[in-house]
Amino acid sequence: MMPRKELRERARSLAKKYGYLQYMIERYLALWGEEETLQFLETCERPVRTAIRINTLKSPIRTVVERLEDKGVSLEQIPWVPEGYWADFGGMSPGALTEHMLGLYYVQGVPSMTVTRVLDPKPGDVIIDLAAAPGGKTTHAAQLMNNQGVILAMEQDRQRLASLESNVYRCGASNVIILRGDSRKAQTIGIRPNKILLDAPCSGEGLLPVDPSRKTSKSMADIRFCATREIELLETAVNVLIPGGIMVYSTCSIAPEEGEYVIDDVLRRHPEIHVVPIEMEFGSPGYTKPYGVEMDSSLVLARRFLPHLHETEGFFICRLEKEDEET
Amino acid sequence: MSVRLVDPMDWEPIKEQIDSDFGENVLQKLVGDLAPVSIPRGNTVSFYLVPTGWIEYLQRGFGDFTPSSMGIWLGDMSNNRFRVSIAVIERLARLTDRELVVSRRGAESFTYGKSILRESVVHLTPGLKRGQRVIVKNEHGDCLGLAALSVDEARLERLGPEKLVAKNLVDIGWFIRRLG
Repeated sequence: MMPRKELRERARSLAKKYGYLQYMIERYLALWGEEETLQFLETCERPVRTAIRINTLKSPIRTVVERLEDKGVSLEQIPWVPEGYWADFGGMSPGALTEHMLGLYYVQGVPSMTVTRVLDPKPGDVIIDLAAAPGGKTTHAAQLMNNQGVILAMEQDRQRLASLESNVYRCGASNVIILRGDSRKAQTIGIRPNKILLDAPCSGEGLLPVDPSRKTSKSMADIRFCATREIELLETAVNVLIPGGIMVYSTCSIAPEEGEYVIDDVLRRHPEIHVVPIEMEFGSPGYTKPYGVEMDSSLVLARRFLPHLHETEGFFICRLEKEDEET
Repeated sequence: MSVRLVDPMDWEPIKEQIDSDFGENVLQKLVGDLAPVSIPRGNTVSFYLVPTGWIEYLQRGFGDFTPSSMGIWLGDMSNNRFRVSIAVIERLARLTDRELVVSRRGAESFTYGKSILRESVVHLTPGLKRGQRVIVKNEHGDCLGLAALSVDEARLERLGPEKLVAKNLVDIGWFIRRLG
């Protein structure tokens, strides 16, 4: 690792060149070293490819692909998400097409659609989505459940609730109960789900390639604030999930403080919770020693999307299982 | 706000309106084996169709949470008038033949919230009268929304190209416009 003084000087220079706050670059240098940091910074200057998820609640995949190709949209299938496609709309706005308004597809980042696939919703499941708006993952789960079972989709913010409702209706997701309130109080509904999706509100540090304002909009205190809330939400999830149940924790942040640190914390306090393997090929392993801090070795089973390695937004995804009481 | 099973007294006007607009027993077919429930919001009451298995959730309540929507959004009752929701139009279209098919240009205009002019009409179910609700479709057969006829179908051929045929009541562009 670079000596501290040298690291700070290099960070200052790179922060000025790429327009970031210095503390961010210091963390990247400490995490990845100089070469990978430079790759990351360069990649974040380029937009990520648009992706869509075809909504099989409305139409078979083939039919939608043909309709979009007839309109001049180039599609390339995402290998680990059968209903996911990278889409080049050739200058058209992806949200303005009739097919979008009809709910035939959802414009969604590749990591986001991967999260729902990792949860692996099945018809008949009882799922709580603890941070549901704007509804990409909720509607994806409904699709994989073929509208059978129930999704309790929670959201506190009124405006975000409107976007959640709108997307649920547009996509024809009919097995969703939308609840307004603070997800940290999820135990008050008295329903014990067998699966939980927690795509936690985060600092958004993984969204740098799509939102350049993030280069300067969040401080280290903001990251700590988010991490505290993420731990609270995950604690709720642990308490509500039935024994033997599965939950997926994800954030659109590349900060280990919002990913590995949060999971490591819950693993220490809850011996009944285990990180379990993700049976899909994507991304790269979670960190077990970020910034030299020793974490639970099972975190290697978590996955990361990183802009410079996977040409997507940055994301952290971890699949967790709550031990069955009998075991 | 609390969720309630729908009282038959509240249900009757909805049945009358939907059946009168779209055909006999259409509401019953739409409901199928689902249970109608309602959520009051000020002067409006929203109606939803949910699986009967969810009734135990409703009876138990949702703790510190306020239910905002559930199952299939059927529509809203306000000032004694029931408005069918955009979320149910596609299902409704499978149960009625009362439809108006519009040209590509007409479809685009309709999904921007505009009403339908004679020049955009490709097909209108024969025999329909002024005031009749019709499902609006494009030439692919996609449901674009709901409109109210401004003229009798029998007068259609005599109208000039820019004359109003049907007033937009709700369309799929709502999904996008709502997000503002």
